[in-house]
Amino acid sequence: MAPSATPDSSSSSPTSDNRENNLQPFFVLHKALPRKSERKATGPVKTRRKIDLSPASPKSSEKSKADRIEEYEDCHYKPLRIEAFDLVWSRIETSIQDVLRDINNNVFNEIHHWVSESFTAIRSFERPNSSKVNRLYPIVTDISCKQLFTGLVFTKNVEFVDDLLTFEELGLHLKSHGCHVANLSSLEFSAKNGIGGCLKSLLRQFVRVTPDAADIAILASWYSERENCDNPLVVIIDDLERCNGSVLAEFLLMLSEWVVSIPIILIMGVATTVDAPRNILPSNALQRLCPCKFTLGSPAERMDAIIKGVLLKPCFGFNVGYKVAGFLRNYFLRQDGTLTSFIRALKIACVKHFLAEPLSFLLEGILDEDSHYFWSEKCALLPEVMLKSAFDLPSCKRDKMAEQTGENLANGLSELKRLRKNWISAVLCLYEAGKCHKIQLLDIFCEALDPDFFNKRASDHQSGLGLRKGGFICQAVRKVRDLPVARLCQLIKIWEKNTDGITEIHSKVKELLSMLKFEDNDKSLKQDLSHTSKRPTSRSHLYKDKGTKAVNEKAAILLECMVRDYLQPIECTPFHEIICFSNVDILQSALIGDPRRTIQVDLLKSHNYLQCSCCSKSNNSLLPSMHDTSIMYTLAQEHGDLINLHDWYQSFKGTITCPTIKGKHKMKQSPLSKKRKTNESPDISEASIQARFCRAVTELQITGLLRMPSKRRPDCVQRVAFGL
Amino acid sequence: MDENDGDEDEFGFSRNYFLAKELGGSGKKSTRKISDINLVDEQELSTAASKIITKHEKEIVSLMNRYKNLYPKWGFELRCGFGLLMYGFGSKKALIEDFASTALTDSGVVVINGYLQSINIKHAVITLAEVLWDQLKSRQRHPSGKMSKVQQSFSSQSMDDLLAFLDGSNSKENDCYVSVVIHNIDGPGLRDSDTQQYLARIACCSHVRVVASLDHVNAPLLWDKKMVHTQFSWCWYHVPTFAPYKVEGVFFPLILTNGGITQSAKTAAIVLQSLTPNAQSIFKVITEHQLAHSDEEGIPVNDLYNICRERFLVSSQVTLNSHLTEFKDHELIKTRRRADGQDCIYIPLKSEALEKILQEIG
Repeated sequence: MAPSATPDSSSSSPTSDNRENNLQPFFVLHKALPRKSERKATGPVKTRRKIDLSPASPKSSEKSKADRIEEYEDCHYKPLRIEAFDLVWSRIETSIQDVLRDINNNVFNEIHHWVSESFTAIRSFERPNSSKVNRLYPIVTDISCKQLFTGLVFTKNVEFVDDLLTFEELGLHLKSHGCHVANLSSLEFSAKNGIGGCLKSLLRQFVRVTPDAADIAILASWYSERENCDNPLVVIIDDLERCNGSVLAEFLLMLSEWVVSIPIILIMGVATTVDAPRNILPSNALQRLCPCKFTLGSPAERMDAIIKGVLLKPCFGFNVGYKVAGFLRNYFLRQDGTLTSFIRALKIACVKHFLAEPLSFLLEGILDEDSHYFWSEKCALLPEVMLKSAFDLPSCKRDKMAEQTGENLANGLSELKRLRKNWISAVLCLYEAGKCHKIQLLDIFCEALDPDFFNKRASDHQSGLGLRKGGFICQAVRKVRDLPVARLCQLIKIWEKNTDGITEIHSKVKELLSMLKFEDNDKSLKQDLSHTSKRPTSRSHLYKDKGTKAVNEKAAILLECMVRDYLQPIECTPFHEIICFSNVDILQSALIGDPRRTIQVDLLKSHNYLQCSCCSKSNNSLLPSMHDTSIMYTLAQEHGDLINLHDWYQSFKGTITCPTIKGKHKMKQSPLSKKRKTNESPDISEASIQARFCRAVTELQITGLLRMPSKRRPDCVQRVAFGL
Repeated sequence: MDENDGDEDEFGFSRNYFLAKELGGSGKKSTRKISDINLVDEQELSTAASKIITKHEKEIVSLMNRYKNLYPKWGFELRCGFGLLMYGFGSKKALIEDFASTALTDSGVVVINGYLQSINIKHAVITLAEVLWDQLKSRQRHPSGKMSKVQQSFSSQSMDDLLAFLDGSNSKENDCYVSVVIHNIDGPGLRDSDTQQYLARIACCSHVRVVASLDHVNAPLLWDKKMVHTQFSWCWYHVPTFAPYKVEGVFFPLILTNGGITQSAKTAAIVLQSLTPNAQSIFKVITEHQLAHSDEEGIPVNDLYNICRERFLVSSQVTLNSHLTEFKDHELIKTRRRADGQDCIYIPLKSEALEKILQEIG
């Protein structure tokens, strides 16, 4: 234990006073300081700067202009940004919840209906009276009275993460309808916890007590109380497949014995198929179940609903760029497959956006009723530096704005909002067109964000639309041509709603609609005619088909027109940086750490991070001045999966004692040459080399890049990672 | 495009693996032993280890200072409900504690040292609850009647109750939280799945924010999707510090201390010291035999019995067997069959270790 208490350990640790704390399993670093409002006003916490390792003064002298801007806006606009984030994200969050609730609502209602029916059914067996309840064991002889009503909710999703929230919501939904609800997680049905664990959790949630010995009689007597006994008890188990079969079976058998006095109704989430209960439960438990089937929406459906309800709502300020959208899409489709992670990624993106973009507080304006007023007011007050930084944004430089005034900025933002609204309308129209052919909104959404695609379209006007062949948008447009009349009519009706904001398109849609109606009338007229004549001629059919085909063609052209004129991705508009997050690298690194790769890179390229003058000139060759562990790991790369400790030690010793780069070539040869020994500089003692070697091995062991010698091979360590 | 890249990576990875295997298998295998190194004395080694001069100390300090600019960002992300996960090579203990003591002054901070061997997570949670309670009390927003009920000592409450307290659903109090700093969340004391489940449950409490550091390259394997997405909700930060793992490495034996011989001899000696003198003497008989006949499979049980009876160590085969069973339970001895079918007892340690043991118990 001695090394930890060495005096020099304090030099790197700013909190040297808790050196003894290092050996405590846990300790309180400090308690909350009383919050003072005035401290907040003076800006970020500067009171404790004395702990800083180096004085801040040299830094301040060379402060660049950018720093000054940063500092200025830090004090004045940072609180605004935080406030705006809170507002924006809480809006997004609630609307996500609403969207998910809406999706599940039908199933939830269905489940509630079934719960009440089941409850009445149980009640019809026998009404419990107090004398019965107090009996130790309710004796029920009729097997049909031991049936447990069980709702199997098929989640259509292998990932149970998304459904956790769904079941929580279901619980709340049923609670709001008066049921007593307990949510049990599949973790509680583990062999280790046993049935006692589940029971305890039940009692905790229903009775709100934690008894020492879990006994279902407690639940029975609680339920017999007057205010409780008129409502059903619902137990929700989120993931049947992850439960331990025998514990669950025992639990079910117990509940079924008590079902008359405690009318428990079960709801279980099933990720796979109807077979799942049969695979998990023994037959005696299965017999007690009286199942009913419900099905939730698939993740893809939910994803589309969220895109539609959140990212495509004009009133949500926060936007993502093409690359970010692509990343999110890939992450969802190929890597994770859960909506939860998508939402989390969106939140990280949102946080990162507000942290990185000084002007992001203006985003709040989009949520505002009168955005333009909000912006004019805010932009008029903007200081020079920030105004300049707005007009220095790359998107704005491209377009060369005339004058750098607050008014122009406000106008630019309003224009941005308008363009975005149009873009949304166009995307929604495309989605509706592609919907009948199972084109996902997510795909269209991502493609529609592509700035290159738009720029190409804009540059070659003569070659028509220039739609990407095989792209989702192209497919969606093409599908319109083949739609049957009824569908087309529906589609155009939806378009009418979607294009509400774009007068030009709106009128054209109406025109189309009237054409269709005319066709319709025409058709019914014809049908009447054919009815009377009883002999529809083939010619009239032909004529009718031609008519609708013409409408189809017109609709397709209209859609193309929308794509051309209104599908301008946000990244092609000035000032988009203020409301749009497009730094995919930041998002990726925050969302997916890759320790396995990165820690190795750290070790192999240590001078990139340390930026020392001594090691940076080495061209991938080892220098004695490098970090010891870094040298060791680089040396380890030359070994196979086993590293002979002796050889490794000798090459390490060779590297750190050789003052020249020549050492690099030598260490490749078989070590242990006598020459090396004479070369050794006298000021590094054998003991210290060995100690440094040991330290480096320990550090590699902590990072998990080495496995220690086994009994079988006491002289070798094992490499764990091969390649990055 | 990116798909191809992924394939390429995968291919490169497996190729590297097989190349490494090949290198180990076919190439002239080095048979040199650690003992060929002119090893210094253990005491000298550990003194030297404590005196190692950290290289690039200046650069490490400036690297840490660069990270200081990120403190406000980190604070904001914590506030937004994310957990911070710091990774990258080097000890991050000083960095995180500096962050906690400069930027997290509004909240109480509890530090858990995951690099230690054993940590009672419940005690840590009790401390957390106490800190939070102090904090809530000083804010004076709660009606006092409600608080006094919770007042009863936290140490008698169950884990579920404690977690429920930490997860107060009071949305208005959302900005009142306790920060937990977990050094080496993948450390030996926290590595088991039960503890990780608890940590995850702590992390998702509304009054708790977590800042953790991670050092092991495979650490993410500790968590499933539920923990990652809904409970920890990590925001990863790559912050290599290259600072030495001084405290974190305290409990790792130095690899050059006679290749762990001391370690096993020591543990064996500790076990033996807790046994009866007779048992110790029996073990001595086996040891002496093994040292004298190091090329044999071990001492046959019958021979052992005879010697022990001669020395009045046991009176019957049954007593001897009970001693041997005890040795076996402590993994002090093993049996193997000799060519003639006799069972032989041997100690799975090297001669040097055996001599050490003899010294220790002698």
